[in-house]
Amino acid sequence: MIEHIELFFKSIFIDNMVFAVFLGMCSYLAVSKKVATAVGLGAAVIFVLAITVPINWLLDQYLLQPGALKWLGEEYATYDLSFLSFIMFIATIATMVQLVEIVVEKFSPSLYNSLGIFLPLIAVNCAILGGSLFMQSREIETLSLAFNYGISSGIGWFLAILAIAAIREKIRYSNVPAPLRGLGITFIITGLMGIGFLSFGGMLTGGEEENAETKEQAAEVKMISEEDKELANNTKTIK
Amino acid sequence: MGLKSNLHNLKLKYQGTKMAPAFNAIHTFLYLPNETTHGGTHIKAADDLKRTMNIVIMALVPCLLFGIFNAGYQHYAAIDAAKGIATEASLFGNFLTWDNFVIGAWTVLPLVIVSYGVGLLVEFIFAIIKGHEVEEGYLVTGMLVPLIVPIDIPLWMLAVAVVFGVVIGKEVFGGTGMNILNPALTIRAFLFFAYPTWMSGDKVWVHEAVERAGTADAISGETLLGAYAQNSSLAGIDYMDMFFGFIPGSVGETSKLLIILGAAILIFTKVGSWRIIFSTVIGALIMGLIFNGVVDAGWIGESSKFYGLMSVPFWQHLIIGSILFGAVYMATDPVSASQTNKGKWIYGFLIGFISIMIRVFNPAYPEGVFLAILLMNVFAPTIDHYVVQGNVKKRMKRLKVKTA
Repeated sequence: MIEHIELFFKSIFIDNMVFAVFLGMCSYLAVSKKVATAVGLGAAVIFVLAITVPINWLLDQYLLQPGALKWLGEEYATYDLSFLSFIMFIATIATMVQLVEIVVEKFSPSLYNSLGIFLPLIAVNCAILGGSLFMQSREIETLSLAFNYGISSGIGWFLAILAIAAIREKIRYSNVPAPLRGLGITFIITGLMGIGFLSFGGMLTGGEEENAETKEQAAEVKMISEEDKELANNTKTIK
Repeated sequence: MGLKSNLHNLKLKYQGTKMAPAFNAIHTFLYLPNETTHGGTHIKAADDLKRTMNIVIMALVPCLLFGIFNAGYQHYAAIDAAKGIATEASLFGNFLTWDNFVIGAWTVLPLVIVSYGVGLLVEFIFAIIKGHEVEEGYLVTGMLVPLIVPIDIPLWMLAVAVVFGVVIGKEVFGGTGMNILNPALTIRAFLFFAYPTWMSGDKVWVHEAVERAGTADAISGETLLGAYAQNSSLAGIDYMDMFFGFIPGSVGETSKLLIILGAAILIFTKVGSWRIIFSTVIGALIMGLIFNGVVDAGWIGESSKFYGLMSVPFWQHLIIGSILFGAVYMATDPVSASQTNKGKWIYGFLIGFISIMIRVFNPAYPEGVFLAILLMNVFAPTIDHYVVQGNVKKRMKRLKVKTA
């Protein structure tokens, strides 16, 4: 239970898809002009991540990992198919997005119409593939954790696009210098929002290294914050 | 007469040229503007931007003066402590002394001068390039910045950060009133992430501690939060010292009494929103209570690295660290805060809540207030959007009931 809660908050705030690893930027920048559409796209991303990450977890666990094919028989135990992960994952994602599209079109035409082109575009949203690949590289242990990871990183992305859409609606009447209008100011806002989200960087983990050493010099604080950056770059695994 | 008429002549001479905003700015800053509104006015109010800003500055001056004396007091107290003499703080005995003032003025005033000089220079340049009048927005920011940095921060770092904060944090959005993040906090965040060695640790909070490190007369002055975060015991600091502010910390944040005084000024003049101040305090208290509950329930043992700060009684969170300063002067920034009344409650509550959460759970950042405010600045437009949408929905319903 504890690890579920920890993973949930970690993927929403600390390893936020947009502000920590800057994934899914294309649709984040393109579809954030209005809050209403941003919410629609964000919901679709949550949905697709919640489906694809567990499916890819199963694929990874029983097909792709080194030794994953053991269930076929002892002679397959040495096989390592992980070089296929990219193509397998993206195939799953494309299929799932297509499936989601068909289902949504059939059962809720109004939602389908409001999402428009963005629904098929999710297939090439790097946050989705990123979710599956992080799931693999961080060695998430169980199916339910993978499901949790999918949903929570989707929520993180959702929050990011929601916040920037509201900000962009707010600054619509600002006197932004002409060369910066549009995408330019959006990039700057994204950077400033990233500073805001840094408040969670290293939360829960940042202290372990600090406690191990006796903190003598302020320089060590710098080391710790560098380690936070490594965390943001996903060189660390989620515990 | 002299200066005023000279300025007026210069104004007339340069009217219509690129330099005009610069002279206009100096003129309005020093004297009453001699112009009245053209065209019809719709809203009549006695205050303008300049007056609003001046009230905030007046509310900040006690903190600045206290910070100056405290800088000197902490300096001498740390030297005495290094020699093994414990210092008892008394207001007229050893606090309001000439020596303290000299040391404090020598260290604090350059911060003020650099902050204002660099910031206003950037504002003037932008006003001249863009051809609008210089706006008063920097007056408060320039005063806040020296109050939220450690005493010994190198001046060039401050200058770089001020340029970053004013240009990226404010001018690219179109100047005063358009920014999404509080510029003073943007400056502090820049300093914090660009020069972490100068912004945290146990050396930077007392004058000369960095230079003396490693020598025979080394002194140290750790903030209380730093001490708590390491689970070390707090010997010799009593709560009244924390409340009155005789403790190490950023220049202006230590004296809770004067901050409360400033809050009273801001609330009385309706410059600062009491909703934000109170909800921030409530949020912080509730988070503190939750953590105390966790400790009382025995879920966290003494060995845990979070124990030190979690076991702090909830009301003490308000008098250690800078949460009050942030709540009163930073969170109430009318530009970057939520604009709606309901939104202000949510905004402030989350600031207090997240501040204490970062303080306890994030040992890498000993103080999370400024980051929590920045984070909520990011989300303030979202909160506003939903509050407004909620109101729209409510009224639509009412409308339907009426017409039906």
